[in-house]
Amino acid sequence: MGSLFSIAVRNLVRARLRTTFLGLALALVTTLLMLLLALSQGVTDTMIRSATTLSSGHVNVAGWFKSKSSDASPLVLDAPKVRKIVEENTPGLDFVVDRGRGWGRVISDTTSLNSGLTGVDIADEPRLVETLQLAPKGDYVEGGGDAIEGDIAGLARPDSALVFAAQAKRLEVAVGDVVTVTVETMSGARNTAEFTIVAVAKDIGMMSNWSVFVSKAGIQKLYALDDDVTGAIQIHLDDHTRANEVMGHLQNVFAEQGYEVMEHDPQAFFMKFETVAGEDWTGQKLDLTTWSDEISFMTWVLSAINSVSFLLMLILSTIIAVGITNSMMMNVRERTTEIGTLRAIGMSRSKVMLMFLFEAIVLGVVSTLIGGLLGMGIAAALDAADVSIPAEAVRAILMTDTLHLVVTPNQLLAAVIAFSTIAAGAAFLPAFRAARLQPVKAIQHAS
Amino acid sequence: MATFRMLVLVAFRNLFAHWVKTLFVGSIIAFGTLLLVTGTALTSSIDRAMADGVTGSLGGHLQVYSAKGKDELALFGGMFMGAEDIGRIDDYSVLRDRVEAIDGVKAVLPMGIDMATATSPGELEQALAELRTAVRDEDAEAIPGLKARIREILSKVGDELTKNAKITADAARIEEGLAIVERATSDELWSRFDEAPMEVLEYLDTKAAPFTEEGRMMYFRYVGTDLEMFPKYFDRFEVVKGEVVPPGHRGFMFNSKFYEDWVKHFVARNFDKLQSAVVAKGQRIEDDASLQARVRQMSKQYKRITYQLTPSEADALKSELTSFLGEEGALDALLEKFLAVDDTNLAERYAFFYEKIVPKIDLYDFDVGDTITLRAFTRSGFLKSVNVKIYGVFQFRGLETSDIAGGHNLVDLLTFRELYGLMTADKKKELSGIRDEIGLEDVSAADAEDALFGGDDEPVEQTVQRTEGFDEFEGIDLATERERMEAVANATFSKAQQDKGLALNAAVILDDPEQLEAVRPVLEKTLEDAGSSMKVVDWRAASGIVGQFITVVWGLLFSAIFIIFLVALVIINNSMVMATMERVTEIGTMRAIGAQRSTVLFMFLLETMVLGTLAGLVGILLGGGLIEWLGSVGIPAPNDELTFMFGGPRLYPSLGVVSLVFAFVVVFFVSLLSTIIPAFMATRIQPIMAMRAKE
Repeated sequence: MGSLFSIAVRNLVRARLRTTFLGLALALVTTLLMLLLALSQGVTDTMIRSATTLSSGHVNVAGWFKSKSSDASPLVLDAPKVRKIVEENTPGLDFVVDRGRGWGRVISDTTSLNSGLTGVDIADEPRLVETLQLAPKGDYVEGGGDAIEGDIAGLARPDSALVFAAQAKRLEVAVGDVVTVTVETMSGARNTAEFTIVAVAKDIGMMSNWSVFVSKAGIQKLYALDDDVTGAIQIHLDDHTRANEVMGHLQNVFAEQGYEVMEHDPQAFFMKFETVAGEDWTGQKLDLTTWSDEISFMTWVLSAINSVSFLLMLILSTIIAVGITNSMMMNVRERTTEIGTLRAIGMSRSKVMLMFLFEAIVLGVVSTLIGGLLGMGIAAALDAADVSIPAEAVRAILMTDTLHLVVTPNQLLAAVIAFSTIAAGAAFLPAFRAARLQPVKAIQHAS
Repeated sequence: MATFRMLVLVAFRNLFAHWVKTLFVGSIIAFGTLLLVTGTALTSSIDRAMADGVTGSLGGHLQVYSAKGKDELALFGGMFMGAEDIGRIDDYSVLRDRVEAIDGVKAVLPMGIDMATATSPGELEQALAELRTAVRDEDAEAIPGLKARIREILSKVGDELTKNAKITADAARIEEGLAIVERATSDELWSRFDEAPMEVLEYLDTKAAPFTEEGRMMYFRYVGTDLEMFPKYFDRFEVVKGEVVPPGHRGFMFNSKFYEDWVKHFVARNFDKLQSAVVAKGQRIEDDASLQARVRQMSKQYKRITYQLTPSEADALKSELTSFLGEEGALDALLEKFLAVDDTNLAERYAFFYEKIVPKIDLYDFDVGDTITLRAFTRSGFLKSVNVKIYGVFQFRGLETSDIAGGHNLVDLLTFRELYGLMTADKKKELSGIRDEIGLEDVSAADAEDALFGGDDEPVEQTVQRTEGFDEFEGIDLATERERMEAVANATFSKAQQDKGLALNAAVILDDPEQLEAVRPVLEKTLEDAGSSMKVVDWRAASGIVGQFITVVWGLLFSAIFIIFLVALVIINNSMVMATMERVTEIGTMRAIGAQRSTVLFMFLLETMVLGTLAGLVGILLGGGLIEWLGSVGIPAPNDELTFMFGGPRLYPSLGVVSLVFAFVVVFFVSLLSTIIPAFMATRIQPIMAMRAKE
């Protein structure tokens, strides 16, 4: 085995030029694959981060309340009790928060904008305090400099609000200013309250354009809600990939505890008003969703990126595979004498075949490793450089202003395995041919 | 010349002799060309189709708007939800005169785009309106039934309020509501109805109705424009139902896509979607989880049908359903069963639904001829309401199914201005003129803020909580107020009145679209000379994110093709190098019998050129054939976004000479490039090497 391996390496070294070219092509494609994977992961991360910071937990226990069959309010009654059940029954639980939800018009002295409102109890949200970064004043006030004003902890005040830099810029407000928020309540009344901006946070992708944090007390007041009523219990897990499983588990738990649980509908809660309003029941039902349901209107971006990448990779891999097959064919032809001799002195067919396959695999592993590491390096450098995206359309689609790429060792492993397999697969036919050569014919070829 | 002929022959001979290599390299080149030809043809066809769709629906060829706004114009939506700030054109007529005078400009249209909401009438509201009409028309037959229905609705309100007490912190309001409901359902009040029906109706409208659920709220984009010119200059516009708002009248027109998706009865909409998925797209409910979910959802929506039925209609439907389903049961249960459709009975039930059920219900929340209350936030955050008559439903031909184009409803410019909240001094005067005419008290609004944002807006501070909020109706004679709104809605206006005032942007239509780049600088110059700071953008820039999307697609296409060719280059190069190695003997011999290095170089390059040309031609033929074929059958747009980009339900791509020439040049260049290294290697072969190899 070892000797076969060293023969393969020796041959690769001897055919320097060919090895270099094939290796270069493989490395190039691997670099590209790494970049695409890093982009896809970057977008996924941005989405999870945007979603779980702004509008959702990994799993949400939300609900609908209907006082008559034709209405629909996205509310959870008896929130403390529901929360307790969640806390006691969630496997892999990191933490739970309880947030109010609303939608309204935020009005400053000069202009106004529409935004989702999230009511938070800041004392209960250490993670939010960690995640939200305050923006330097220069980000939203011209000539504001690097000074960071305000404090997220200020959201403890009942009439406080936190806006994001892009919103602050548009509203022409800074920390300490007062904005008016108007909402339409579930029964169609218009309620208004004033909020003081206690902090301005850095934008989190595009979704933060439509998101304002206010104190929980503030949102309860705007909607005239009872203290026990909330928008959603948001569950954060240690491992977000288990969200679906945990949601399923909790659905059963709540059903066993006698709650009415709605059939899972993978959409954001604000898409469900019409459906719920048409259903013939009154009272409370719980509605459990995952983070990806709440941003289902954005996940098409991810599938688009992945399918374009897949298509591109398919074309490139085909070209490379054909290239490897072609050069291996020539390789076999050139080395017919050698093969004949090896067979004549007793090397088995399978070993001849392995010898050629090894060559392709070594070439594949080495060049994809080089290309992969290069790709990781470029991706990490691009990510660190905070390259700003020029086109608004791309910014909207990727939900971020700057290019965000995430590299993980798993991506490298996947790329190396994939391309080494392709290389070996492409070498299979020539190797098979080499193995089938008759020693006599091979030696005849030489003379 | 003889040498050249010989070299060509040698090239062909070599290509045949090394046919494996030829086939391999040739197929990569042909494939690359195919990609290039189809890619560029598709993208440029999309570009043309989209240009046609955008210019013919909303964009015009050029758009002019103020340079002072914070955002760029995004006709089809931008980053912030409906709150783009694109500045304003204070007096559109001045701009119009300047632009119209320019050679090559066919027409200019004023526009203003914003978001508005409208609420479909609630159950009680609808019944009250019907009763009001019945009383006015002295329709003695309808009155008792309607009275009974209203009392029944009201009797449920108490129950709802008690349930609502569970979620609300505002106990006082619940109590107030319960008291009002008690009075509203009392015999005392209803006995007064016969003597003073209007008084009772007023009481119910102002006091009781606020405690019942409003109807469904719809949120949409609307375009305020010159409705006389719009159909003339936007060739995609066509009326589906009703008529175009008559010149000089205020009016609203629904976009049929929005009308079907949001205004139509929820159950009918679901039925339509199922029918189109199963019949038009050939999907099967049995195999599709999302269709199954839709069916389950739809079957739970039976109440949306039953609550609209009068007792006699309900009886009729019950017996029809009993015989249709062959089962007995309560109406709700029968309907639920009926709505749980499957692949086998969908067509039959769809027909039954439209034949038997639809005539008994309101298929649309708003019909042509109804009045709709549009509500919008003004720039400064006031909520403005305007009542306007619905004249018709329209669509943009070819873009019927596109959400992006279909989300825009149309309204006259005066209504837009009122909703936008910004009034010029002239407009203000005109409005008080109308009020004087119809004998209403003058609204005195002296200060600048009021003049800017419409003095009759209630200041935000006054509308704090609902409990206090309704005090705003105290002391107002509602009947007179209603008349006033009607008078304003019915007042006509002249074109001069319409044009002399605010617009946000202006669409410029050219005589010849090809002249876009020629007219644009003239237009920019004219506006600059006149001292107005305006931006002029083409349809692509004006369409916002969607318009940029095509640029992104171009970028993606070219980077993909670049990468593919780069990899192909390396691979082709590799196999060429190997081929050269194999021919060491041959080349050495040629050199030994006197061939020059340049001849060898030329021989190699010629070989590749011949191969590149042949393979490139094959690629072009294949690609061209593919595009021709697609051009005749059309590529169906799989989703709404693509419908918009395709400018219609199908894209018919066509082949441009430019993309052919481009593809050919690229391929030629790439194949030459890939031979340079092997060709130079070949020139370095010494005759002696040939001899050695022979040994």
